[in-house]
Amino acid sequence: MDVVGSVIGGSIGKIILRQKSGERIELGDLLVAEEAGGLVIMQVYDLAYGSQIPLTNIEMIAGLRLEGYGERSDLNLIDAELRHYVIAFVKAVLRVENGVPRIPKNLPSFLSSLRRIKPEDLSFLTKPAKPIYVGNLRSGSKVLGLPIYLDGPEVLTHHVIIPATTGRGKSNLVKVMLWSLMDQDSFGVLVLDSHDEYYGRHGRGLKDHPDADDRLVYYTSTTPPSGGFSLIIDLESIKPFHFNGIAEFSDAQSDAIYMYNTSFKEKWIEKILKNELPEGAENKIKPGTLAVLQRRLEHFLGVRCTEENKLEFFNSVFSDNKGQSTVNDIVDSLEEGKIVIIDTSRISDITELLIGVIIVSEVFQRYQKYKYTGELDSKPVISIVIEEAPRVIGEDVLDRGDNIYSTVAREGRKFKVGLMAITQLTSVIPGPILANMNTKIILGNEMAAERNAIIAFAPQDLSDDSQTIASLDKGEAIISSNFTKFAIPVKIPLFEEYIKDKLAKTSSKDIAYL
Amino acid sequence: MYRFAHIADCHLGANREPELRQLEVEAFKKSIDTCISRGVDFIIISGDIFHSNLPDMWVVNEAVRKMRDAVDKGIPIYVVYGSHDYSPTGTSIIDILDSAGLVKRIGAGEVKDGKLFLKFVEDPKTKAKLTGISARKLGIEKEYYKILNRELLEAETGFKIFVFHTMLSELKPADLAKTDSIPVSYLPVGFNYYAGGHPHKNIVENFKNYPYIVYPGPLFAKDSKDFEEAAKDVKRGFYIVDFDSQIINIEFIEVKVCDYYFEEYDASGKSPAQIMNDLTERMKKADLTNKIVLLKLSGELASGKTSDIDFTTIRRIIMDQGALHVRINRYALTSKEYASIRVKGGDVHEIEEKIFEENIRSVKVSNPKLTSPEGVKMAVNLLKALRDPPKINESKEDYFNRIRSQALKILGLPEG
Repeated sequence: MDVVGSVIGGSIGKIILRQKSGERIELGDLLVAEEAGGLVIMQVYDLAYGSQIPLTNIEMIAGLRLEGYGERSDLNLIDAELRHYVIAFVKAVLRVENGVPRIPKNLPSFLSSLRRIKPEDLSFLTKPAKPIYVGNLRSGSKVLGLPIYLDGPEVLTHHVIIPATTGRGKSNLVKVMLWSLMDQDSFGVLVLDSHDEYYGRHGRGLKDHPDADDRLVYYTSTTPPSGGFSLIIDLESIKPFHFNGIAEFSDAQSDAIYMYNTSFKEKWIEKILKNELPEGAENKIKPGTLAVLQRRLEHFLGVRCTEENKLEFFNSVFSDNKGQSTVNDIVDSLEEGKIVIIDTSRISDITELLIGVIIVSEVFQRYQKYKYTGELDSKPVISIVIEEAPRVIGEDVLDRGDNIYSTVAREGRKFKVGLMAITQLTSVIPGPILANMNTKIILGNEMAAERNAIIAFAPQDLSDDSQTIASLDKGEAIISSNFTKFAIPVKIPLFEEYIKDKLAKTSSKDIAYL
Repeated sequence: MYRFAHIADCHLGANREPELRQLEVEAFKKSIDTCISRGVDFIIISGDIFHSNLPDMWVVNEAVRKMRDAVDKGIPIYVVYGSHDYSPTGTSIIDILDSAGLVKRIGAGEVKDGKLFLKFVEDPKTKAKLTGISARKLGIEKEYYKILNRELLEAETGFKIFVFHTMLSELKPADLAKTDSIPVSYLPVGFNYYAGGHPHKNIVENFKNYPYIVYPGPLFAKDSKDFEEAAKDVKRGFYIVDFDSQIINIEFIEVKVCDYYFEEYDASGKSPAQIMNDLTERMKKADLTNKIVLLKLSGELASGKTSDIDFTTIRRIIMDQGALHVRINRYALTSKEYASIRVKGGDVHEIEEKIFEENIRSVKVSNPKLTSPEGVKMAVNLLKALRDPPKINESKEDYFNRIRSQALKILGLPEG
């Protein structure tokens, strides 16, 4: 056994090790104590110096060296490797007995020797039937050749949150995960891509997956590439409740909307914009209220009514004669287990939010219906990837009332619909929603307040891991999930490297053309 | 300035009833006559001239005679196959007309190194350049669009027209949401005019780099949905387009060959006897002379069965009023006495598809593909193939072999 340290004291959750000289134990390292009938896996969460020499003497030695006395006299310590050492603080994360992992409830033997973890120690981490690949097992900064898979249906329906500050590899992680989901048809994933970075318009992306033709659907408000769809949604697809949590309307405005919707059904927006009053509403809707509603709808939807009483659109997303089946087509694709990327990089925030709400509402309604009709089991899990998640599930947003995202966060798992929330600001997401996010893929984060919010709602006890999270390098992550036996440290491969040997082969197969 | 006509979805031979077949042909003749009288330089028919690849010979004869009129006057007719008049297994009537010099099929090309290279046909008089992609069964044309070499098509100079017979997703009407479609981005950019066919809707739209995407819709009607829309005053016809180096003007030419009478009847909470009385009274009061009468019943009966309503008598009353033809749509009519599956749909095909979707879950089969949406599609196509009647003068054996071959193809099974 290649020993790296020895247990020298401590208590449950705070075991103290002495590092063997010549070894370098890192924050996050996974170490193993072998015991009769099994092994204990421990993880390093803090490091400190230890010395047999009193501090005042050490200070004197350092002073002598710094002032140049060391060169003229032998100030080296006798048996330095015995007198100075590194103390590591570790916690036992798992006890494995006969290959079965359990939560450790006792301490490893006193003075037991520890070695570094080997992939075979984690033989219980098997590949699920419907896996999501997230990266390779990592011990400190060392990457082990053990791919880590999560159970797709469980993890996605119980929501995932990916917290990290900018530049820590969030998008790379999501791309890697989506690539592995594209290998299967068990998952529909809606990606509201506010930076247009997943499809790969200008470089590698999900479009390069060998099954992209069948499994990837791309909508954009800009000119689409061949095979991509123009993101155009018919005004009639918009229902009054889609504005919940997006826009606040006064009581008078809400009443007016209700009247229009009741009278004109799906043409309610058109009729408001065209100034056509519902029958009998002459004395019920004040001209001022209608004027404000018109202005607000113009602003939200980028449309106005011309003097010729025609609708003129000044954003390309909404229309009164195109995109009648767009929402339906998108949700159909999700139901067929496809990844649907909506490039929202060139549209306003409000439009992006509205589009998301329209689609997610349709997904949720359909899946509620499927549960009722008994069809849900045959449907794929649907996950909704939302960037900058606080825009839709942030505290200030939800103070205005529930929206479809908070509904999905609370009830989605019953209907096989889950969120994958990406955020830099975990702390502004309400606790109950964070608690419902049963898988947290934690990337590096320098902000203590954000780390505290993540740790407070982590499925495993990460109360000692604040420093470890702060020290995570780009591409390093900790997966804390109700569906993993312990908080697994992983290294996410760089997407471009990961897909290098998995790219679609250029087909030269000639099909008959008549 | 030059001028061309853009016609689509004639579906000649779609209706079995002689009076409707007559009207189909009349609409076609009227359209060609208008093209001649308006002095068009050429005619484009973007698919589904006929409702089947080997249509009734009377229909063919009538159509050919009229096309001959145009061709004799120096007006070429450029066509692509539609989803109905294309044959995956043999020769289509379109090929015969092409060989006879009556029409010119466009969209010739070849697949090389996995890419489809299309050739242009240049109209001799106007120098307009035409190319396109025909429809295929089961969405095979989608594969062609995927491998289409756009660069060469886009680099071609001159006045260009792309002819196709495929639904475009971004223009798909809500009521056709389940229909197969392709994104606009599959079409090569920079053509002056995109002459579409397939959706039975009149659509004129534009996108960036696609100035005119036009679907004229059908000339007449091939199913209940078409008839209902026509009865609701949706105009039927085609386009006449003026151009030089660019499009100058496009004009919709309405083609009307009959009048309609449409009645929607809500039977909810009524007994069969009440319904009989109501309908009899209404039909006797209405002016039905020389009209196609469409009667659409919906709702759940208060008592009795739907078969208790004597539709034969209602039909007779309507015909006695001088109607040209009567169609009664009772798919949305239900009775409490049946534990029926309720589905909503605009036409027979859509309703059938939905019934398959509803029922397929309860079917126990070892191949999960059969209970998937693909299975539904397969069932719909199989039903459609099995419903195809024998052709005139087709022997029993030929008929059997043709249907068998189509069914095997749909099921993905080898012949023999």
